[in-house]
Amino acid sequence: MRDVELHVPPDVQYVGLVRLVVTAGARQAGMTNERIEDLKIAVSEATTNAIQAHRREQADGPITLQFGSASTDQFHVTILGAGYIPTGVDGSESTAAGERNLGLTLIRGLADVVDFQGPTTKASVHMRFTVGLTPPAANVDSL
Amino acid sequence: MELTLNHRKEGDRTVLEVGGEVDVYTAPKLREKLVELVGEGHYQIVVDMTKVEFLDSTGLGVLVGGLKRVRSHDGSLSLVCNQERILKIFRITGLTKVFPIHDSLDEALQDTD
Repeated sequence: MRDVELHVPPDVQYVGLVRLVVTAGARQAGMTNERIEDLKIAVSEATTNAIQAHRREQADGPITLQFGSASTDQFHVTILGAGYIPTGVDGSESTAAGERNLGLTLIRGLADVVDFQGPTTKASVHMRFTVGLTPPAANVDSL
Repeated sequence: MELTLNHRKEGDRTVLEVGGEVDVYTAPKLREKLVELVGEGHYQIVVDMTKVEFLDSTGLGVLVGGLKRVRSHDGSLSLVCNQERILKIFRITGLTKVFPIHDSLDEALQDTD
């Protein structure tokens, strides 16, 4: 499956639509239902964060999502827009509220690979999921 | 999917049935409902999540907020959840140590803690 790009307004009412579109792409790429549930939550968390960050920063323009499967066993999602630098990424403490920290914990626990890029006003979250396997146990146990 | 919220009394407990998707868009409705219930004096709350299709950190935050509210009145808030995909979210975030989580409503109602 080639990469698909999706632009959504920075409004929380579109988070559900993002979940539907990305999971449809993952299903087309052959992802198992169990992994789709993980993907759905991680994408929802990252999109919610990006939308809320856009509002805090009063940033203009849409949230951009790029997703697809570069190989038969990997599905990737990148969310571009205003965001945050989570605790530990830049060595400083995040000022994110409790819900955002819970969201970060979920993203890290559910995606196989996560890469955050700052700064906060022009951030990206890149996530990779194995299409057919459950995430490594260590990914969850280490939390 | 729409968020559905229905509550009823079961003895000294108040059961709040939640259905549908709980995310950043719908969670404020759940927050309002919990605030309303506590405001009306419902301090022993069981949140039945067996019909929840999706839950994210916003929903978790609302439940934690509800727990704090009832505890400030010496109350309790327990959950009914038997779906692995939802339980997984509580496990990853460590909230299984915060909420009493039951497999069934009967079990939750029998719990005297």
